[in-house]
Amino acid sequence: MAFRPVEIASAALVALLLTLSADAAEAALRVVASMPDVADMTRQIGGERVSVETIALGSQDPHKVPVKPSFVTKLNRADVLVVQGLGLEHAFLPALLEVASNPKILPTGAAYIDASIYIQPLEVPTSQNRSQGELHPLGNPHFNLDPVQGKLMARAIAEGLARVDPAGASRYQAGLDRYTALLDGKIAEWEKLAAPLRGVKAVSYHQDLVYLAKRFGIEMVGTLETKPGVPATPGHLEELVDTMKREQVKLVIREVAYELPLAQTVAQRTGARVATISTLAGGLPGTQTYVDSIEANLEALLQAVQEGSAS
Amino acid sequence: MELHRALALLCAAPLVLLSIPASALIAEKELAEVKAELAATQQTLATTLDTLAKVERRLDQLESGATAPAPVPSGPRIPPVNVDNPAISFVIDTALETDTHGSGWDFALRSGELFISAPIDPFLRGYASLAGSSEEGFDIEEAALITTSLPWNLTVKGGRFFADVGRFPHWHGEQLPFVDRPPSIERLIPGESRAEGAELTWLAPIEHYFRVTAGIYDSIGARDELPPEYGSAGDRAFDQLTWLVHPSTYFDLTDTLNVELGGTFFTVAKHGARYLYGVDATLRHQPGTSSFYQGFVLGSEWLWNDEKFHNVDDAGEIIPGRQRFNHNGGYAYLESFFGREYSVGARFDYAEEPIDPIDRQRTYSAFATWFPSEFQRLRFQFDQIDPVHGQNDQRFTLQWTAFLGSHSHGFSTR
Repeated sequence: MAFRPVEIASAALVALLLTLSADAAEAALRVVASMPDVADMTRQIGGERVSVETIALGSQDPHKVPVKPSFVTKLNRADVLVVQGLGLEHAFLPALLEVASNPKILPTGAAYIDASIYIQPLEVPTSQNRSQGELHPLGNPHFNLDPVQGKLMARAIAEGLARVDPAGASRYQAGLDRYTALLDGKIAEWEKLAAPLRGVKAVSYHQDLVYLAKRFGIEMVGTLETKPGVPATPGHLEELVDTMKREQVKLVIREVAYELPLAQTVAQRTGARVATISTLAGGLPGTQTYVDSIEANLEALLQAVQEGSAS
Repeated sequence: MELHRALALLCAAPLVLLSIPASALIAEKELAEVKAELAATQQTLATTLDTLAKVERRLDQLESGATAPAPVPSGPRIPPVNVDNPAISFVIDTALETDTHGSGWDFALRSGELFISAPIDPFLRGYASLAGSSEEGFDIEEAALITTSLPWNLTVKGGRFFADVGRFPHWHGEQLPFVDRPPSIERLIPGESRAEGAELTWLAPIEHYFRVTAGIYDSIGARDELPPEYGSAGDRAFDQLTWLVHPSTYFDLTDTLNVELGGTFFTVAKHGARYLYGVDATLRHQPGTSSFYQGFVLGSEWLWNDEKFHNVDDAGEIIPGRQRFNHNGGYAYLESFFGREYSVGARFDYAEEPIDPIDRQRTYSAFATWFPSEFQRLRFQFDQIDPVHGQNDQRFTLQWTAFLGSHSHGFSTR
């Protein structure tokens, strides 16, 4: 079968148009997000105007994210870098940025979006004394676990995207409005859902639940770690078990990136229940979005509290 | 008198006995009243707590803007001044060593190393490393400048630094996963890959990671006793400089399993004085969690040294010679990480001395590391040293390393 020149030209034109449309799709703002939560928020706000890649996995300990060369190429080609901030990425991002050859996404660059700029940090250390553990000098960076702080993160991201891509400012504002409305509705639901958590005493593995606890009224009594970032010692665990028994603590919150057996051992010795939550979206099954992640965390906490009450 | 007292007691006894049921009734009544009062107080308390909780929630909502149309903060929080500018750290690396050859026990400060780094201006950053030990005085190990904003993904580095040779040759001793530098590396590139010169690095602007470094230096490694075309001391002609190229690439096999490959070539051009070829491969499993199992690293590196070396005269002095020596060496090791605090590993090393055709050695090592925290490390290593010509030896080393001040892992020592 022979093709006529007109058919060939038409096919070529279609191919060209397809290529151009593909190019247009690829022309979306190339965003690299350090953490899954800010990645999801950027997608929710930017829609098709952004293409987002993430560095950390939800199942990972943010302090242990590996420094992989494949992240360097992502960062090198990025138009925008979105970080959760307050030093959460200190273990891997400075090393990656050191070789990414992309000055605009450095912390001093125009395309560096810090989602923490509207957060009022808690647990800001008064001194950088390492005898107190591996403290974050700017304050506790796990504010994403409080959905009200999530709204402030979204605002910072939307404003940052508009700054880098002014042509899309109205799109980002509309995305922010939609997302804020979604979060407002969810926050009202979650406040009611989480009512049984108010006043519940708990311990966590790492000192990362201060914002979550404040929002939902959980009283944090201690951590399995001796100090932030310092593994548990036998002496510390004995003290913790005594404290839990004395204070009638019946909930051990284990973040999914940390080991389960130690949490189980402490729970068994104190008659407490273990609730597994994730400090990052995607850490628990079926929680790829920020909203799903918050919801799954609350459900896990409620289930453990209810099981504890029933027993 | 005694009789009267006995009669009084006798009369009072029935009264006391009769009065007990009445007291019990009164107590029961009071108990009920107290219980009712307690219940009422508990009810009041519960109501008060509920009200308090509602007020707290409302306060939180008002503070955080949960119900308000716009977030409360009027402007972004101003971050504090960067406390890490400059970043300053000091590493203390100390060890206790003994072996079965009877050389005794040796406590040693292997290295005390001051490290300073900071951005210099929008175009440049710099770092310096000053180190001293029990055996050597304090010296500037590295003092280098690195560009930060060149176009086309280029980076230039200049000064004194560890040249970008292979994987471990450019690592500082305390950064290695072992207590010692692999003997094969130490023999072929002694004194780390210390060099004075300049490097140009290019990162390919593609999705796949590919990076190549080209360098030109006075020399690579500490070989002070040799003439300029072989050693590290003295002025030299242009063709006595050392030229290097080091491409490297990387593949993600899964989200948590990856492999990195590199190749190194450096040469001293004059009369083809030296050619060194190297390959390195590193397979890593990095789940990035803090569960009990935290991954492994399987690494290997092999170097081929082709050098037109020297002869030794009757007085034992090294003189230039025409004979070429082809000597190789390399290592392979496996390290596994457990429970945030522990790692164990094993290493095999084959080393040849570049100048001595019969001095070959195999070393079998086992090592275990305990990290009480991110900033402190204790490591024990056992080495079985088997020279091809010579007496076997067993060496035991306990290393204690701590990091003061700023501490972060750079990209090159990941």
